[in-house]
Amino acid sequence: MATRNYRFIGLILLVLIFHPKLVNGQDDLMYGNTPDSIFPYHNFQKAYKYHFIEPIEFYGAGRDKKPPSDLTEIRIGFLGPLEGSPLVPLGKQMLNGSMLALEQANANGGYQGIPYKLMIHNDVGLWGAAANEVVQMDDEKVWAWLGSIDDIVSHVALRATLKMEIMMVNTGDPDPTFTETNIPWAIRVISDDRQSGYALASYIFNTMQHERVAVIRANNRYGRVGIMEYAGVAVRMGHPMMIEERFEVGETDFSMQLENIKEANPDGILIWGNAKESALIVKQIRALGMKQPIYASDRVVSAEFLEIAGEDAESIVSTCQYNPKADNPKLKQFQSDYLKRFGIEPDVFAAHAYDGMNLIIAAIRKKGLNRVLIRDVLTDLKTFQGYEGVTGEIRLDESWNDIGKIWMTKVENGEFHYTASPTTQEKNYARKGKRINR
Amino acid sequence: MAKKAFFKNSGSIASLLIVLVIGSLGFVLPDTFTNDHKQSVVNAGSSAKKEIEPTRIKADNPMPIYGNWKNFTSKNGLPGDKAYCVKIDGDRVLVGTHEGLAVYQDGKWKTYTTEDGLAHNGVLAIDVSKQTGDVWLGTMGGLTRWSTGTFENFTQMNSGMPNNLIYAVTCDGKDVWVATGGGAGHYDTYAKKWQIFTEENAPMHEPWTYGVCAGDGKIFIAAWGGGVVEYTKKTKKFRDYVDPDGNMEIDLFPDDGIVHDITTGTSWSNGILWVGTYFGLSRYDGVHWKGYFDHDSGLASNFINFIKASGDVVFICTDKGLSTTDGNNWITYTKNETNTNGKAVLLTDTHSTEMTMTPSISHNYTIGVDVEGEQIWVATSKGVSQGELLKQPLQ
Repeated sequence: MATRNYRFIGLILLVLIFHPKLVNGQDDLMYGNTPDSIFPYHNFQKAYKYHFIEPIEFYGAGRDKKPPSDLTEIRIGFLGPLEGSPLVPLGKQMLNGSMLALEQANANGGYQGIPYKLMIHNDVGLWGAAANEVVQMDDEKVWAWLGSIDDIVSHVALRATLKMEIMMVNTGDPDPTFTETNIPWAIRVISDDRQSGYALASYIFNTMQHERVAVIRANNRYGRVGIMEYAGVAVRMGHPMMIEERFEVGETDFSMQLENIKEANPDGILIWGNAKESALIVKQIRALGMKQPIYASDRVVSAEFLEIAGEDAESIVSTCQYNPKADNPKLKQFQSDYLKRFGIEPDVFAAHAYDGMNLIIAAIRKKGLNRVLIRDVLTDLKTFQGYEGVTGEIRLDESWNDIGKIWMTKVENGEFHYTASPTTQEKNYARKGKRINR
Repeated sequence: MAKKAFFKNSGSIASLLIVLVIGSLGFVLPDTFTNDHKQSVVNAGSSAKKEIEPTRIKADNPMPIYGNWKNFTSKNGLPGDKAYCVKIDGDRVLVGTHEGLAVYQDGKWKTYTTEDGLAHNGVLAIDVSKQTGDVWLGTMGGLTRWSTGTFENFTQMNSGMPNNLIYAVTCDGKDVWVATGGGAGHYDTYAKKWQIFTEENAPMHEPWTYGVCAGDGKIFIAAWGGGVVEYTKKTKKFRDYVDPDGNMEIDLFPDDGIVHDITTGTSWSNGILWVGTYFGLSRYDGVHWKGYFDHDSGLASNFINFIKASGDVVFICTDKGLSTTDGNNWITYTKNETNTNGKAVLLTDTHSTEMTMTPSISHNYTIGVDVEGEQIWVATSKGVSQGELLKQPLQ
């Protein structure tokens, strides 16, 4: 009896000693929809500290600050690529989506009868220019702001927005590291390249059963950081990139890189870049007689890509952060309103900006004109968790990153067709081999 | 974690072990006391009295304890409540606020703004040249030199400075270094020339820098996402220090390098480099790295806004209070949520105790700190706090 008691006590002690909460102060939760089997080092070694499994609160002052009584407009900031950047077409769509949301809010009486006004800033210029733009927004006394797309801009602006204490709602930057900064003054309401990378890896290696995949990517931060999560997962699934080629933005002749890839004879090719270069690469792959299936990052999901790639776009597979053909009355209304207002179809940046701006408006309506309270309600993971926007359900994780649904899309008969992405259930990622320490 | 849980939860066990500490001259002297005496901790500005049982513990140098806090906000002298930084400059104190530079001298505050010549009212960083006495102000709209009563501004447009938003400034002899979101800048005040360091000419992933300090013939730059970039002045060579596990979402091993690549500040003193991040604190002695988190040390929070090392002690401004440590022993100052009082929690390897502070620091969200002699000043989200070294905390 005594032995049994000792065993029981010993068991309890072992549970206590090795319980993750005691070892590293945290529950055993993984971050970013990442199954155990593909979490970094997880098959071999438990990390000493796991980040982003609990939201960082803002403990600073300012919640009791009263708004001015003489306001004639409610200023909301906007930062996007509007001139001098290859991303201008995307930036203009983002601006349109933001404007439409504010115009509709103003048609409904603004905030307590006071109209919203968008304070528009261009995000391209000298190095670190985004920081200066955020300072300017602070000087303009905006209550919150929306932007941007380029990850360099977003990162620079993020640190500035912490200093200024202005809530930033990002609707266009898919860089996973953007929200991996622990700064409690930003949310992102668009899925990131971590989610795209997981979906692509699952599709490529599990659904399509490829073994040897070549990568050609933009030689900039978008390409480097964008491919990072896909590459990590591919390694953990047992399929490291067999070859990685790079190209510069603006490049038009990719023969050198594609000859190298052709010689490697991969099962499939993954392109990570902007629409224009990706389309040219697709054309040149086919011109070289290469028949491999082609996969691409989500920036190809655009009219520009289809137009340049033409027939060669057929069967290209990518991901999309929402399904623009979903049977969603809110989405259909938005698409109709947008077309009527701007004379063009909305793209992914317009739709997400529309949702992001509506979240800002809803936060102001709920909490009034106080930057900290606007931040609090947008980050509480309750009030707007599961918000049904035109892009579908918005669900944020503890780093305020959108981990809602992501979609696979394939070009068929010259159009993108959307299907659910492969599930992120663990079985889809399970690597052949023995897991240790779990 | 185990240590913290132990101190937090095992009240009856802890009461058997008890502390302390503290001696004359306002220092925690963990190796000074024997088990022969019982003493009561009485903070000079405190109403609390606590029975303690001193125990011998290991530590080489005493930890200073500060108290007798006096707080200033917009109600009694500051141009605004949000204070970003503070610098003790002889018999005056310079405070950078969102609404301008506030100078405290002879018991009075005076404010300087763009109307007086500042590049921008938001003053994020201050340093004073030991060589010339010039005050260098890193603002949200450029770098301002305050010399012989005159303000001179450096911006991207009128000089070779990397960016107008200056997060940190440090004077090093004739040189002035700034950390900006557009790179680190080095200004040679003799040659009147700027040099910019970015990912093009230094081992940075990106040119985003948020802290800079000097020490040991080197410049240490806190590079956002790039860990710490070290520049040796003599050889003009760079090297970097990053978290070896290469992943943002974890720290694989606790003492294998910087706890995270997102660094927010560096400070060097007495042969030790301290590095602040939003994920914990790191200490580097030139050979070994040591990491500190809120779950395994006395650190108030992993979210570190600013650090300042002085002697063997580093002062850590977190979002949940001001922590100080020599690497072994900890003191953390916090304010109560419901009133102006607060406490200092003293933690050694084996013991913990609390001192009541009446009042305490102005706000727990601490953003800047400076210490000089027996003075400490703390910039917070709601005002600045002036404290003094407790000379005789024990009676």
